Amino acid sequence: MILSGAPLKGNELEKLKAFLRKMELEYDEGIEFSVCILSEDSEIIGTGSVDSNVMKCVAIDETYQGRGLAATILSELVQYEYEHGRTHLFIYTKPKNDVLFSNMGFYTILQTDQVLFMENRKNGFENFLKKIRQETPEEAFDSNKKTGAVIANCNPFTYGHKYLFEKALEQCDYLHVFLLSDERSTFKPEERYEMVRRGIVGMERIILHWTSDYMISSATFPTYFFKDSKQGQKANCQLDLELFAKKIAVSLHITKRFVGTEPGCTVTRTYNEEMKKILPEYGVQVFEIERKTWNDLPISASVVRKCIADGTFDRMRPMVPVEVYQYITEKIIQF
Amino acid sequence: MIEIKKPAMAGTLESSDCQVTVEEGEGTIEFSLDSTVINQYGNQIRKVAYDTLKNLDVKNVKLAIVDKGALDCTIRARIEAAVYRSAEQTENLPWGGAIRS
Repeated sequence: MILSGAPLKGNELEKLKAFLRKMELEYDEGIEFSVCILSEDSEIIGTGSVDSNVMKCVAIDETYQGRGLAATILSELVQYEYEHGRTHLFIYTKPKNDVLFSNMGFYTILQTDQVLFMENRKNGFENFLKKIRQETPEEAFDSNKKTGAVIANCNPFTYGHKYLFEKALEQCDYLHVFLLSDERSTFKPEERYEMVRRGIVGMERIILHWTSDYMISSATFPTYFFKDSKQGQKANCQLDLELFAKKIAVSLHITKRFVGTEPGCTVTRTYNEEMKKILPEYGVQVFEIERKTWNDLPISASVVRKCIADGTFDRMRPMVPVEVYQYITEKIIQF
Repeated sequence: MIEIKKPAMAGTLESSDCQVTVEEGEGTIEFSLDSTVINQYGNQIRKVAYDTLKNLDVKNVKLAIVDKGALDCTIRARIEAAVYRSAEQTENLPWGGAIRS
């Protein structure tokens, strides 16, 4: 029998948590949908869950393995994802499940000692690497040139971002700026792209890309998007950093990564700390740049968003480039 | 011609079935196949897929099949179901042919 819930609650949820503990997995608070297969005496014998476009906590009781239960579970999960319009799917699993999920249309992006990270698109990640290489001018691959990277959401683009880019450009010849493709921010991805494009006019050594689900996304770094809630305390970012260092940085010859200091948010701060530990192991130096301030307060996109919400545009004005100010006010008039 | 309007899927990963997903294409038919019997029947599955799309008059689609040893009739039915769902046609299904409006 199949039990499902979006998400499971009460007694059923407790049973699922207990089963996962037995399987040495932890129920993730971000989970929005779970499916469980029950034995004749109503015990859970297999399960899987969905958190945004990521499938996780997939486990089958050992005595019932090899009977095709994983196929049933995955079919339900993929069905759920498609019903919610999500087509680029990811799965986290243990490296020993490689063959099982390969046979169900999943392809490896990265494998570490503990985790196997897969997607449902053949060559999805390779095509992403190809795309960002194509977006990069020939000269930026020159091994005598210093190449850096910044990953940012720019929700919206502020003088803080611009300052970070300027500081980074002082230390490298080319700077790759990766803009988060995630659609859950206040400003839509295309709007953020447009603001950055206008805000960096004249900064020719910047190369702008999309992150396309492969950097700081709900797939690579799930807790980033829960930073306001309690569960975000534990940053789950190793995989994100390893993927960046082992594949993306190598592909673009990036040797420096720049981040702004993080005064407020614990998740981002932990991410920065982890970054300083992990990236240098792969030959990528990390530079933490002190945030630009206005009236002694760090400029941050969240403060700007608050100004927009409150309608206090005058307060926002000194924190964003003129072009961005115009863009935002134009947008708001349109509404 | 049937327009693929939104992503849709049909089928399962159970043995003897196949999971078919369709998405809006980039002007052509883009086909990807995973199959437990790809060495024996890969070409045949591909043929069934292209024939079915032709019958449905679908020319712009990303079609992905994860096959678990489905028979031709199953593959055909799953592709048709995915395409109909994507075109938001839920009644008067013209099984085996194109949607005419």
